Amino acid sequence: MAYTELIKNFERVREYMRQFYLYGFKSREEYSVKSARSYDDDRRRIETWLGEYMGFKSGANGKNVFISIDSRTVKSNPLFKAWKTCSFTDKDITLHFILLDILKNHPCGITTRDICDVMESDYLRCFEAPLSFDESTIRKKLKEHENLGIAAGRKDGKTVVYTLCNDDTNVDADALAFFSESAPCGVIGSFIADKKPANNDNFAFKHHYITQTMDSEILVRLLCAIREKRNIIFTNHSLRTENTVSIKSVPLKIFISTQNGRQYVMVYHYDFGRIMSYRLDYITDVELLEECEDFDRYRNMLCRMEKHMWGVNATRHEEQLYHVEFTVSFAENESFIYKRLLREKRCGNVELLGKGLCRFSADVYNEQELVPWIRTFMGRIVKISFTDKGLEESFKEDIRKMHEMYCEEGGDDNAV
Amino acid sequence: MLFNEIYSLYYKTVAKAIDSAIKGQLNDKTLRQIIRENAFCESELTIVPAIKEEKWQIITADGTTPIKNTPSVPLTNLEKSWLKAISLDKRIALFGTDFGLGDDVQPLFNQEDIKYFDQYTDGDEYDNPEYQHHFKTILKAINDNHHPLQIYMCNPKGCTVRMNVIPKHLEYSHKDDKFRLITSGCAYGAVINLGRIQSCEYYYGRQLNRMSDLETENKCFCMELVDKRNALERVMMHFAHFEKRAEKLGEDRYRITVWYDNEDEGEIIIRILSFGPMVKVTEPADLVERIKQRLKKQMRYL
Repeated sequence: MAYTELIKNFERVREYMRQFYLYGFKSREEYSVKSARSYDDDRRRIETWLGEYMGFKSGANGKNVFISIDSRTVKSNPLFKAWKTCSFTDKDITLHFILLDILKNHPCGITTRDICDVMESDYLRCFEAPLSFDESTIRKKLKEHENLGIAAGRKDGKTVVYTLCNDDTNVDADALAFFSESAPCGVIGSFIADKKPANNDNFAFKHHYITQTMDSEILVRLLCAIREKRNIIFTNHSLRTENTVSIKSVPLKIFISTQNGRQYVMVYHYDFGRIMSYRLDYITDVELLEECEDFDRYRNMLCRMEKHMWGVNATRHEEQLYHVEFTVSFAENESFIYKRLLREKRCGNVELLGKGLCRFSADVYNEQELVPWIRTFMGRIVKISFTDKGLEESFKEDIRKMHEMYCEEGGDDNAV
Repeated sequence: MLFNEIYSLYYKTVAKAIDSAIKGQLNDKTLRQIIRENAFCESELTIVPAIKEEKWQIITADGTTPIKNTPSVPLTNLEKSWLKAISLDKRIALFGTDFGLGDDVQPLFNQEDIKYFDQYTDGDEYDNPEYQHHFKTILKAINDNHHPLQIYMCNPKGCTVRMNVIPKHLEYSHKDDKFRLITSGCAYGAVINLGRIQSCEYYYGRQLNRMSDLETENKCFCMELVDKRNALERVMMHFAHFEKRAEKLGEDRYRITVWYDNEDEGEIIIRILSFGPMVKVTEPADLVERIKQRLKKQMRYL
């Protein structure tokens, strides 16, 4: 098939964009692709969509493609463009614009039969070789428009009469610009901004993980399932283990990290009989099933557990908790350390022990999840203890390793 | 659901071309200009022949159209439900709008369906009427061709200071859950935390110099890592929002270069430390030295 800029299926491009954006050091040969041609076509497409943000460099392993964006300097997420590349047929686009126009000219409604006649007499006649549309094609397109919420059909006797839906929403240009970048599924805001103006220049964003948008379709489906309290079957493909599995569960809540951009869905997993978390960027498909009668019970269970969850790890046994505790020291002019602990403590507790000393403690399901955060207090931790003594020793061993890496001769080879 | 041609930039571009044709302004030059401004860099290769060869029967080869009304697509159900969800966000009070959506529109999500589990808890007070007033005044001034503002604020030492500034734009951090005003024209600093503002009004005094922006100083650091325990993915995701380059040095060894704003160096150090021995910073020397000092201090406590 000849190359086109537009695509039918988003999934393959989703994966390439993620790889180009996150890594950017792989050559064509290192991607597991169907053919070199399909890789070249997808790379060319992404290049036409993202232009200035794409870069290339030659390495020992060949030409590498990368996307590099300082998200603080862009006012609108450039990756949104990928969602605006869905292909269509000549008939699709013709029918779309003509139907919109006819419906606008008939505010009281019009039947498919009459649409057919008007199309032929007032529109297609202007062209040398007019396309032909039968009534069922028009009805099918109207049904699509109805499902999207653009058109509405109502019974008038034995026939159905179609009208264009009203749009009296008052969309504030500043609110639209802000939430398109900061709210979940912000790409939908960007769709609206293609119809109604947004003041993108008024806002910038720090700690902005723009790659989340690539998972928007999955997120929309999960949110619909949560709203309707429905079970789902989703396909989980781990990029790390290369395993693909189908999982029946009920989605309960979305957890989003503001510090690394990862998005998770918390589900009740029927086979394992417990609450588990799954990364959205590993999910390739979500199918909505029947309503889950126990949704509220599982969601309450999750709410109870959140009091002991540092991150996204829940547990099978709610009563099994692990205690983590550490004390940090700070100088008289370093009260910001105490304030830092207070604002970052999540489900933990912070106590001021006296001048220049404060203690953090928490009872959690998973102690390991706290380790990266505790490391950020490096240089100030005067005392630390975990219920799991093996973890405590490994924490201290890591500090010794880092000291060796940075402060001792020949430490360069010790990074793990 | 989300990936639908109705949201495509081709549809948006063709709608603009139809509008131009209705006004009798469409010719080869304007068509190509509309495509360049609205679609992708190779879109001309598809859109121009599709119109010229009358494959898309909405604009004729000579640039006229049988369409009578400027195309405008009503908001879809998905768009309305997203706006409804936004209207339930506490930050919407800053904009003074609720989008005028009826009760029949279901929100795509409720606030309790989403949890930002590692967001800092000392975020701005969006429901404080004074804060809302400051925000709205600032936004109005930005929209009012960056009208100068007089701001009284509490500095980090607890003293009240007055600043006359030109508001450039607002910056939001999801992690901090705070807004900052990026300004120019003030000698004291270019960035003001909205949460520290005590009063904020239009300023009509002497003209401020719009060119006196404080230039941000960009720096970069290099780190090396061995891709064990999924280290590469973790690091690349964590620093994803920065401009960065990754190089493969060997079988499972990588070098990553990250560009950052000098004012964020303290934050950068703790973010690097969070990875423990998974990564090793190799450049610049002053950053390596600051990490060494932390480690030496920590070793004394162990």
